[in-house]
Amino acid sequence: MSGPAQIRLEGLGKTFVHAPLGPGDEHREDHGVVVLRDINLTISRGDFVALQGTSGSGKSTLLHLIGLLDRPSQGRYLLEGRDTAELDDDAASAIRNQHIGFVFQSFYLIPYATALENVMLPGMYSDRPQSEIRARAVELLERLGLADRMHFRPSRLSGGQQQRVAMARALLNDPDLILADEPTGQLDSTTSKEIIELFRTVNQTGKTILLVTHDEDVALAARRVIRLSDGRIVGPS
Amino acid sequence: MGVQLFLRIAKMACGAVFSAKVRSLFVVLGVSFGIASLTLIVTAIDGANRRAVEMVEMFGPDTVLVLGGNIKKRAAGMRTMTLTWDDVKRIRQSLPGAYLVVPMRSKSDLTLRRGNQTFSGTHGVGATENYASCWNWPLSEGRDLNQEDVDRAAKICLLGDKPARELFGAESPVGQVVFVNKVPFQVVGRLSYRGMASGGGHDLDNRLIMPLTTLTMRFNLDRKYFRAIRVKFHRPEYMAAHVENLGDLLRSLHRLGPGDDDDFTVITADEVLKFLAMFKGGLLVFLGATAAIAVLVGGFVLANLFSITVSERSFEIGLKKALGAPNSAIMLQFLAEAALLTLIGGLLGLAMGLGLGQFLTGLGVLVIRFSWKVFFLSLASALAIGVVFGLKPARRAAAMDPILALRGPE
Repeated sequence: MSGPAQIRLEGLGKTFVHAPLGPGDEHREDHGVVVLRDINLTISRGDFVALQGTSGSGKSTLLHLIGLLDRPSQGRYLLEGRDTAELDDDAASAIRNQHIGFVFQSFYLIPYATALENVMLPGMYSDRPQSEIRARAVELLERLGLADRMHFRPSRLSGGQQQRVAMARALLNDPDLILADEPTGQLDSTTSKEIIELFRTVNQTGKTILLVTHDEDVALAARRVIRLSDGRIVGPS
Repeated sequence: MGVQLFLRIAKMACGAVFSAKVRSLFVVLGVSFGIASLTLIVTAIDGANRRAVEMVEMFGPDTVLVLGGNIKKRAAGMRTMTLTWDDVKRIRQSLPGAYLVVPMRSKSDLTLRRGNQTFSGTHGVGATENYASCWNWPLSEGRDLNQEDVDRAAKICLLGDKPARELFGAESPVGQVVFVNKVPFQVVGRLSYRGMASGGGHDLDNRLIMPLTTLTMRFNLDRKYFRAIRVKFHRPEYMAAHVENLGDLLRSLHRLGPGDDDDFTVITADEVLKFLAMFKGGLLVFLGATAAIAVLVGGFVLANLFSITVSERSFEIGLKKALGAPNSAIMLQFLAEAALLTLIGGLLGLAMGLGLGQFLTGLGVLVIRFSWKVFFLSLASALAIGVVFGLKPARRAAAMDPILALRGPE
């Protein structure tokens, strides 16, 4: 059912050098707070993975590492067989732009831009022509049932609508991988179900989905669940 | 999401937009004051330069003006009527290089009448032959004063552009009669428009020239002395020597001893330039300091407000980075925003500076001159403020860690 390995983590670890004082300090070793240790994980193309764990378990940090927003302290991260340690900032930006789509808990829509402009944003950093980007954004918004909300600013949209705009934005450049950090964290249960259904639909088009959540219902929608505790993978059960 | 929370978020969003508007306005205003001062200084200096060129051209680099009395030592009760016909005769006869010597007296506030039309406030000048050529003042029609007019004390006159237009409109005044304080004069020539009205106090074009003899006879003025003499020289490159010779001659004619002060003043084009340079220097220092401070203040306003903007919009920066914006794109965006605001400020400042300049010109304080140079200089300075003072916040934005930036300001 799953394709070839898309993401391969080998002995990945992350230590925050400047540790904040407060919760988490009990993890302090010599040089700071160890957030992730010895993560070995392979995710195949087309998979739908839920990353579960309590707050502070390191799941968001793992998502950031996979999304090339942060760099590991130890271990290797191979993306499509390529060692990501070789990538400089701009190369990582280009990969995020073309191959990875992000969905966040608080939607992160730009308040002074319309829904359409928000969706078009990733296209602005690609070399595709403006007309093509616009056409693609309109198509996505229509497909997500937001045709009549295109020229609204985020403040005039409901939470579910805002998250759908964010989904459309994540899909704009047709990425292979969608990373979502608690995408239903600010939504009521009905809206959550709609959004999760949307993720499943997207997954059926062959895109890999990695979703961070602490919600059991959300995790059930995934094909595979990985649990994190204290910075370690504690198994799928 | 609860309605209350939604309303709160909506309100905060509106607040953020409004506060950004106010902030943008401050940036624009801060920059515009600087650019306004800059515009004013450049146009005023251009104006002063043009004026200097015009005045020297008008005054004539080959000509001096001798005034009765000592301008530099204006002792109380000192006579200003010290120049006589005898002086004129002796200068004509024996001053080397002098080829045109024209004595002048004036009577202010003449009233002119033609038919039932009157025009008052005209400055009357009595002179001898070749008045117009000694002032390098071309006639637009008719002829200059000649020796016969002076010898006969003829009731003829040259009309300045202003009274000619007021009394005759588009008609030619030459050959017509005007009454000057009830005395009829025939107009023989019309002076061309000189247009140096601004700043100088009175309008140069509002004048009427008649033979000196006519002026003293018809208007009951002292017949022996007069106020000024114009002397035109060959070889203007020896002006310093000409001036010295003239001074020596007048001192001996007025029987001044070695310890006595001059009872006359010789003004050359150089003196005019010196005065203007002094005026310009003062202007430069005053407005230059103002402009520099204003520009600096505008720049700091920009830098500070942009620094706040970068902090407040850190989520936007983090988001754009996550979506694949390279660092250079983030920096460019903030620089572009800064440049846009300062350019708007620049345009506003340009308009303010020119407006203020027009106002000051109207008050006669200074003369401004607009040119495309000012336009481009102002906008280039505005752009420079944007780039220079926006650079630090823009670089800070570009260097932000996307994860920390997304989390927003703590």
